[in-house]
Amino acid sequence: MSVSVRGLSYARGNFRLRIDSLEFESGRLTSIVGPNGAGKTTLLMCLGGLLAVPRNRIFIQGRDIASLKDAERARLVSSVPQEHNPIFNYSVLDFVVMGRAAHLSLFSLPSAEDVRLAEESLAFVGLQSFASRPYFELSSGERRLILIARALAQRADVLLLDEPTSFLDPKHEIEILELTRKLAVERGQTILLTLHNLDMAIKYSDSLVFMKNGGVFASGRPRDILSDALLESVYDVRMKIVDCEGQKLILR
Amino acid sequence: MAFALPVVVFIISLNIGSYPISPRMLFKVILSVFSPSSQPGLPAALKDIVFQIRLPRLLLAVAVGATLSVSGASLQALFKNPLVNEYILGISSGSAFGAAVSLVFLGKGFPPQIVAFVFGIAAVLAVLIIARTSGSHIVALLLTGIIVSAFFSALLALVEFFASPYALQALFYWLMGNMSLATWRDLALSTPLMAVGVILLIMLRWRMNVLSMSDQEAKAMGISVRREKILIIVACTLATAAATAVTGIIGWIGLVVPHLVRMVVGVDNRRVIPLSASLGASFLLAADALARSLASFEIPLGIFTSLIGIPFFLFLLKKSRRVWL
Repeated sequence: MSVSVRGLSYARGNFRLRIDSLEFESGRLTSIVGPNGAGKTTLLMCLGGLLAVPRNRIFIQGRDIASLKDAERARLVSSVPQEHNPIFNYSVLDFVVMGRAAHLSLFSLPSAEDVRLAEESLAFVGLQSFASRPYFELSSGERRLILIARALAQRADVLLLDEPTSFLDPKHEIEILELTRKLAVERGQTILLTLHNLDMAIKYSDSLVFMKNGGVFASGRPRDILSDALLESVYDVRMKIVDCEGQKLILR
Repeated sequence: MAFALPVVVFIISLNIGSYPISPRMLFKVILSVFSPSSQPGLPAALKDIVFQIRLPRLLLAVAVGATLSVSGASLQALFKNPLVNEYILGISSGSAFGAAVSLVFLGKGFPPQIVAFVFGIAAVLAVLIIARTSGSHIVALLLTGIIVSAFFSALLALVEFFASPYALQALFYWLMGNMSLATWRDLALSTPLMAVGVILLIMLRWRMNVLSMSDQEAKAMGISVRREKILIIVACTLATAAATAVTGIIGWIGLVVPHLVRMVVGVDNRRVIPLSASLGASFLLAADALARSLASFEIPLGIFTSLIGIPFFLFLLKKSRRVWL
């Protein structure tokens, strides 16, 4: 298993995340879905090592992430934040090359090879011509792609994306989901993302994890677990799954 | 080419002062060191002016200018805010208080750099801890910085109150930002500390790019944020305390110089940090040369840099249409 979670419990204020067991395979794309406040982002942050979790709870490629140094962990798992608030106006290439930090020692500068890897990541998201553009001038769709490129430059097998498609138009939404799909299929990476758009989650995911109240409500392949009853109990809203030209759509 | 600027300004500044020395004379004086017999009739006073007064003073200007600019640029990256500098984080006033305590209570024989560093660190820690408990928002940080600076300034006033009239005069003169009293001894004590801090910061320059992202992003990219932040703050404080201990508070350089550099070369710290060192050294050399030659008396450098720095900065802010932050 690429990622395994065992008996994880994480509390912050009144909120408590509690996960008995959860596993993610490499080469698969998993969407974590559920209502606001269900703990999706907290789970992602725990997996990415951004919150302090106790030992022997989260293993990435067999290694306990709580016992790894920051740089060691970042070579196994990379996180794409929902948003980046730029303060300094770096060029796109300077921005993407920062993803190499985990591979560089404290006093070193990125080498030609690091720059090449950054350019390759930019090319993967289709923005190779943007290298010298200032970050401030990018649209929000382009910014999301650049954030993904930076995470790709990190060369970690596990990629976590927190709502990568929120506030995006349908074109960019599809572009980003196709891209993450490609990473899973072609590169064999483990892709985990949180999503609110259920139609898209069903269409693009190998498996779904439904979360509610800080715990896992159901998980598995979409066609195995999806039902009107499940959706209603997770979201407390009546929903209906319909087949339309071979695609599952959700009416609400 | 940008790194030749301080050298040029340095050579020009050597000629300037209450006793102007022509480049020809200067060349003769320097030559006389290597072969004393080749330059007969050279006034001994000239040699003293060059080697005992002007040279240490200019070297100190180079070190202090580079220190304050590099620390300012580093702190701006670290706190993800282009308005931060040594002064706003309390480092300057903490160090100044420490140096004053040392001068008044431990005497001139005891190196003031030590106590300056202790209180510089104490001030910045106080700022960070208080700002964190109030939510770690940038406004909280700036406000706390101002409050802690004011507190240390009040403590400094208290030291002045208890100082003897003679010590007070020296203290007052030093506090306004002054390099006219620079001696080789000051230089020998402070320059290595400034050099260690500045070199460390220059070596960490690319890391600062990553640290200028949000803490969470930097951590996700594999940076041990807390540890590396502490390292940078200690380096800045060490260098700034050493500078403040010999020259008093020289404001605005840490804010003005990195901004000028960013306007020209962009925000990448791989260029901003070394160029801030070079431009900062040139800036302070030039300011010092002007301060001692514009009027018949010497204008204290700290006052002078603020007097040129602030309008210059405002002018650029208004004139520049480019977004450079």
